[in-house]
Amino acid sequence: MFEELPELKDHYLRCVRCGQCRSVCPVFEVVRNETATPRAKVFLAHMLASGEVKVSAGVAAQMSRCLLCQACTKECPSAIPVHKIVTATRSLLAREVPSSLQRIIFKEIWTRPRLLQLSAGLFRGCQNLGLTGLGNSLGLLPPALNLPGKLPSRQARSFIQEITKAEGTPKMRVGYFLGCATNFLFPAVARSTVAVLARLGCEVVTPAELKCCGLPQEENGQTEAAEALANFNSAAFQRLGVEAVVTDCASCSAALRESIALKGMEILDLSELLNDLLTGRHLQKINKVITYHDPCHLAKAQGITAGPRELLGRTCGEFREMPGANNCCGGGGSFSFYNYDTSMSILDKKISSIKETGAEVVATCCPSCTMQIRHGLSKQGLLIPVLHPVELLAQGLGIGF
Amino acid sequence: MDKARLGAELKKIFPAERVLTGNLELKLYSYDSSFMARFQSFVPDAVVLPQSTEEVSAVLRLACAHSIPVVPRGAGSGETCGCLATRGGIVLDLSAWDTIEEVDTENMQVFVRPGVVHYKLNEHLAGHGLFFPPDPGSTRMCTIGGMVANNSSGLRAVKYGATEQYVLGLEVVLPDGQVINTGGVGCRALKNVSGLNLTKLFVGSEGILGVITKVRLRVWPRPKARGIAMAVFSELDQAPATVLDVYQSGILPSGIEILDSSAIQAINLYKPEINLPAAEAILIFEVDGNPASVEWEGRQIAEIAGRRAASVEWATNPQRMADLWRGRSVVAIAAARLRADGSRIFAGEDISVPLNRVTESLRRIKELSRQFGVTVVNYGHIGDGNIHTAPVINLESPEEVASANGLVDAIHRLAIELGGSTTGEHGVGAVRNQYTLAEHGEAATIMKRVKKALDPCNIMNPGKLLAPEGDQGSV
Repeated sequence: MFEELPELKDHYLRCVRCGQCRSVCPVFEVVRNETATPRAKVFLAHMLASGEVKVSAGVAAQMSRCLLCQACTKECPSAIPVHKIVTATRSLLAREVPSSLQRIIFKEIWTRPRLLQLSAGLFRGCQNLGLTGLGNSLGLLPPALNLPGKLPSRQARSFIQEITKAEGTPKMRVGYFLGCATNFLFPAVARSTVAVLARLGCEVVTPAELKCCGLPQEENGQTEAAEALANFNSAAFQRLGVEAVVTDCASCSAALRESIALKGMEILDLSELLNDLLTGRHLQKINKVITYHDPCHLAKAQGITAGPRELLGRTCGEFREMPGANNCCGGGGSFSFYNYDTSMSILDKKISSIKETGAEVVATCCPSCTMQIRHGLSKQGLLIPVLHPVELLAQGLGIGF
Repeated sequence: MDKARLGAELKKIFPAERVLTGNLELKLYSYDSSFMARFQSFVPDAVVLPQSTEEVSAVLRLACAHSIPVVPRGAGSGETCGCLATRGGIVLDLSAWDTIEEVDTENMQVFVRPGVVHYKLNEHLAGHGLFFPPDPGSTRMCTIGGMVANNSSGLRAVKYGATEQYVLGLEVVLPDGQVINTGGVGCRALKNVSGLNLTKLFVGSEGILGVITKVRLRVWPRPKARGIAMAVFSELDQAPATVLDVYQSGILPSGIEILDSSAIQAINLYKPEINLPAAEAILIFEVDGNPASVEWEGRQIAEIAGRRAASVEWATNPQRMADLWRGRSVVAIAAARLRADGSRIFAGEDISVPLNRVTESLRRIKELSRQFGVTVVNYGHIGDGNIHTAPVINLESPEEVASANGLVDAIHRLAIELGGSTTGEHGVGAVRNQYTLAEHGEAATIMKRVKKALDPCNIMNPGKLLAPEGDQGSV
């Protein structure tokens, strides 16, 4: 029987099955039948808890069809945290019908920075030798393995020091949570984050031993591993005497707000901090048309939508809002690995919205969204860069690398 | 026909991805929003997702030949088990068939397939300066097909009426697969009194006579302005009296909502910052039209309500309107949050009574609530006598469930006793058909004859709407 679900009983009993979640769920929007709705997942959790349905691969497949974007949680008239019900159910499934692959990737490798680094190196090696391309063309590898694109040769940790001094008089000391995806896939974002914070008077503390934020583990049912990571990371910041932690990754900040914040640390999204630090400062404008995609983990999970736009307003020549900027891009962390076709259909809508704006640059604050949108643009042969606002800000501040 | 063969036959009509036969998938079609479906599981034998009239016709021919029940379904937001396979069979999930085929602005009408979602239709029509006025609370998810099948309405029925007033014609697939057009073949006229009005027959027929596959709807010019007035009453009787005063002054608001003391308490408990005054009743009037008329009517309402109310406020500023409307907008969830261990149930939730008996109804429901020991929250569309009662119970307590069932039955019987109806908006389905004979008398037997004439094999949504066999209809 379940361990987590009884705690969530009050939530799923409260679901009146009105179906309002149908109006916002990006997966349902594409799949278009009741089985893909958030309320179906709540119903399924209820059936699992009551023993009416037993855990099975079929149940796992249904539960995998959730981006954890929280659109339904925000829309629900009965305030049911559907995403929590889904993650609790996945946790149960991981225990009752364990997937070795899931356990090895998310628990054994992803929680150990050296192993993760080794795996990334191996993956890059395979890319360099053309093995991933070959595997894909022969249909031997999941198509989602194409999503990260060509891995950069250097990870951010290789050039970011544990302590980066503030330029000029230090205004504050801040911890920087360097997430896995930023580290391996987008080291340029990390470089900009640290440089901009330092330029604006922050001493930036990036503990060398930091591990994953725990979100991939939570998404994949490895709840205990996620908790262990939260404990480890908060201890790392405490060791260096940091009380406020900033991150440039929407998913990390969402996860940290739910875990590390509980341990008495202030978690800040980068845009929140930068707008404060930039007050009264004049920046060089970048003469490009820019649009912005709201990452679900920032907009829906944390309610942060104005901050990144304000930041972009400081630097970009022309900002054009895309229709449905707040709609999920279909990335959802590991969602696309399990549901590639659905993920791509959701992505197609996002790419159409971007095209409607005529933007020359897409900005977003989440490496998973960046990876997904870059993939969508490149599939259509569109040469539109997808950047983090902090990269544009670095340009606006005249920071060169 | 066994399930495996049924699945195989359906896959001859539909592409495999639009036929669901897996046990788990089918269980996820076993619910709607009703109280009954919380305790009984109505699992269909198969689900199909039609995308054309031909597919619907073919599946009905198959079902007719083998006497398999067929249940049309929209978004499954109903509260009566109307879209559930209470006797097994095939569920037609029409919600994915959502094409707006044509907006004929010159003729003020629109042609849609059944799965179009209400708010999406109105979003689309707004671009033409038009709107489809009925406005159910389920606008975000309910489909036009479901609205037509249930003759839905909502907050603005006071002024704009129910769906039936807007349906100009229908394409319907009959149980034997035959396709007909009601309202005139190829007709685009707004008025048509020729022939028996089959359109009205199918509107509100809850899927027992055929499957609606296309709807021709009349649409109206979109109002340019709206305003909200809120009046607070220290005596319950003064609220319906004020509604009558407003009508008699020659004003027809677009909506008149009531929150009784139970609703006010629930809202304040849930969101103390809304801080509604402790009162016996609050009325919220909505007026729409052109800016000048809205302003004049709003001020008139404020003046009239002020004669009986402890306080009145009139607003056209969007922010203030939203503030005044806030209590009404959260009342449903506030009811759900009334007890830590409680859940709001949808049962006995939709009675309709004569306007001059609204006060009596509210009082009697409160008495019944005490008698059965079930907490309720009352709110509703007082402008047309439609009362929404929200019982809140612990679903895991068999005693509370039994008490709720007793209360709900008493509320339904109260509605009939007061010269009203067991349902003003949500329909009959499988949860109120035991009252059909009591409500309609001999007319209920004619309904059965109509059903038999159109559906002799009784395959279309059997067990819904009509009085059960052998029912004597006593109340």
